[in-house]
Amino acid sequence: MLNTETRQALIRILGPEHVLETPEDLLCYAYDASPIPMDPSRMPSLVVFPGSAEEVSQIVLLANEKGFAICPRGAGSNVSGGSIPDRDAVVMVLSRMNRILTIDQLNMTADLEPGVITEQFQNAVEKVGLFYPPDPSSKGFSTMGGNVAECAGGPRGAKYGVTRDYVLALEVVMPTGEIVHTGARTMKSVAGLDLTRLLVGSEGTLGIITRITVRLLALPPAKKTLMAIFPDLEKASETVARIFTGGMVPTTLELLDKTFINAIEDYRQIGLPRDAEAILLIEVDGEAESLDRQADRIAEICRQHGATRIQVAKDAAEAEELWIARRSAFASVSRIKPSIIGEDATVPRAAIPQAIREVQAIAARHRLTIGVLGHAGDGNLHPTILADERDPDEMRRVELAVEEIFRALLALGGTLSGEHGIGRMKSPFLNLETGKAGLEVMRRIKQALDPKNILNPAIGLGD
Amino acid sequence: MDWKDLESDVVRCSRCGACQQVCPIFREMGTEAAATRGKISLIRSAIQGWVPDSAALSERMSLCLACKACAANCPSGVKGDQLVLAARQRLVERRGLPLIKRLALRFFLRNRWIFRTGMKLGPLGQRLVLRRIPQGSLPRLPMGLDRRRLVPELAASPLREGLPECIEAAEARGRVALFTGCMVNHIYPEIGKAAIEVLLNQGISVLIPPDQHCCGLPAHANGDGDTARELGRATLETFQRYPVDAVITLCGSCGSTLRHEYLEWFASDPALRPLAQSLAAKVQDFAQYLANIGLRGALAPLDARVTYHDSCHLARGMGVTREPRELIRAIPDLVFQEMETPARCCGAAGSFSLAHYDLTRKINARKTEDILATGASTVITGCPGCIMQLKDGLYQQNTKIDVIHLAQLLRQVIIRNPIPPTLALNSDPETRVLP
Repeated sequence: MLNTETRQALIRILGPEHVLETPEDLLCYAYDASPIPMDPSRMPSLVVFPGSAEEVSQIVLLANEKGFAICPRGAGSNVSGGSIPDRDAVVMVLSRMNRILTIDQLNMTADLEPGVITEQFQNAVEKVGLFYPPDPSSKGFSTMGGNVAECAGGPRGAKYGVTRDYVLALEVVMPTGEIVHTGARTMKSVAGLDLTRLLVGSEGTLGIITRITVRLLALPPAKKTLMAIFPDLEKASETVARIFTGGMVPTTLELLDKTFINAIEDYRQIGLPRDAEAILLIEVDGEAESLDRQADRIAEICRQHGATRIQVAKDAAEAEELWIARRSAFASVSRIKPSIIGEDATVPRAAIPQAIREVQAIAARHRLTIGVLGHAGDGNLHPTILADERDPDEMRRVELAVEEIFRALLALGGTLSGEHGIGRMKSPFLNLETGKAGLEVMRRIKQALDPKNILNPAIGLGD
Repeated sequence: MDWKDLESDVVRCSRCGACQQVCPIFREMGTEAAATRGKISLIRSAIQGWVPDSAALSERMSLCLACKACAANCPSGVKGDQLVLAARQRLVERRGLPLIKRLALRFFLRNRWIFRTGMKLGPLGQRLVLRRIPQGSLPRLPMGLDRRRLVPELAASPLREGLPECIEAAEARGRVALFTGCMVNHIYPEIGKAAIEVLLNQGISVLIPPDQHCCGLPAHANGDGDTARELGRATLETFQRYPVDAVITLCGSCGSTLRHEYLEWFASDPALRPLAQSLAAKVQDFAQYLANIGLRGALAPLDARVTYHDSCHLARGMGVTREPRELIRAIPDLVFQEMETPARCCGAAGSFSLAHYDLTRKINARKTEDILATGASTVITGCPGCIMQLKDGLYQQNTKIDVIHLAQLLRQVIIRNPIPPTLALNSDPETRVLP
């Protein structure tokens, strides 16, 4: 427990209105959006809401002096358990620092604070014809600081990459309290080690981000959506890589299997083909004149590889219907089983068919329902396990299945996590991917930057 | 009632955080416990025994407008508002009601005659405690009301007083019963009168059951399930006596209570369940009923710019958003300008705004800002609770923008009486033109 003196020092730094102390409030920081069960023993000692980099720095210095851990947090919308504190830690919520500082239209960059909500930032830059592509499903409530700390992705990753590809520079409070500026505002910079890349995706273990500089693109003028219907999941999954080798780069390429197709149709009747084994939902963007050409070419590739039907959305409203269908995916399966465990293992595109076969075999072996949907365009499958947290036997089988999925997909040249992060959930498995020596290097970096293990201990580094 | 009963709904919350995007309280407070997933996690904690039935828990559960925005936005279809109300009931059972609420709900509201007598005596005494200003009144004493708050006065004579039980329309094409609701009956009778005049003009006979009372929602929202069911039972028994095409409501909250809540409250009551089902099938909002039967006759043109505010319980409770807009757009010359997020809660939420006036004002200020951005001179809405709140918000910003019920707007273009729609019926005896 924090002693009274330390508590009072924290309250002095921030003012009592920016500190939470009541157990009823603290309990609500013992979870995030991950399926890790809520555990009152992980209740933090205190929750603090700093308003500036200087305040963050003062708190970190105090933590070094008094020896308490700090767990930085944005909206708590990550799904890896990366913001769940250890016992007695102080949770630091960055949501008060929520200003968009500048949008530089000529240089196509923006400066913002970590608490800005992703979608609000996107709307702000789109108003002036600019574009910030990363679009995690949580963008309506996730914070940009959280997105940077987790290196968030999203459906548009197929064409536009992930958060890492847009961050130019950061202001960071290091675990020892110094305020550091990494990177540069330029499109290229090789001055010293790439600390920006080291910090993006570091899950709050190496520093607390207090300011972000991102690069922006010009907003594509138009987009078009099509749906390819397959009588065979295997053929649908083989088509994914073929679209890219055929020279096409769709913005978004989503695969949904029949578990999801039927669940969505049960939930809201949109007219998805119930007889299909799989569908690919594809969006292309660019100059208006190019869209038909792109859509025709993709449709042709899909047909060549076994699609029996292609449906092109006539207008924006019809396209929106299809994306509503996609976004309803989790809602619809939650009506089958209450607990949804969305996995995030990612494989090279060409390995998707084999990855799906392995997932299906694992599901059968452990008598589980595992639906497959995912950002297939970048190999980011989200095998989704439908379970009931109140059934201990089923939850044990879920654990076994998850580990088998990790091993199987790593064997295909994949990675444990495409965009969700390691957090608490995958930490025990990290060495499967990095190897012992690789993990040791990561730990040495952590040790060098955070000698007292202040920031997010027990997160993301194989503990 | 056991906390454990809520478990099957609680486990469906995946804690994704999507509720944060739409929760008006979270937007102002920014703390986890303010958003729905925090409240659901606290309910989970109560089920597990990790938190006692504490005052702090009651306070967290009180911070919900029951605006249903989280439920409408929840990817897993969790009805957060219903869970919070269920939690309030359990806390009231265990901790009791505070004295003031006990008096207000169990003594005053529950006893129809005491309530009516009180509401009749109220207007005589209110000048002692309210200070009149052109826009309305301000409290002289705190008496549970914030002194900065613009409040309406109780009507000198309630709507139902002096109205016959049945007013037949000439060449009637329909027959409805009117559920007046407490606010229309006692605070804004002019809304009720406008609605009745419009219905009669449109060839709809109107029955006004004299025995009707409160729908019970204020008790339900404060966790007093007993009083709520008592009032619900009385409403069901009263309205089942009238053979009508529809039961019309003028308030989204009353309407969604009659249509949806009673089905829940009386789900396991063999005697009342069939009554709740037959009432639910008949309840329609005023705008919904008129839009469905279609307006008869030409509407007078109106040279004005208006915007429309969706009441939470009308939009997300009763699903009525299209109909009022159709009716507004049908008025010649009228410019209809939508505001940003018209269905975001204004922050009134019944007695919530009494207990949390500062918070309610912050929420309301955002709504006021959205209204001002439309350049409208009048706000139209379908709920007297929202009217009271929106008027306060606009008053705090020193604007002259008026807020009226859709029935008042329609009265203006159908009855073609160019009176200012809000206060005319109160101040000008000439306009009391009911047959």
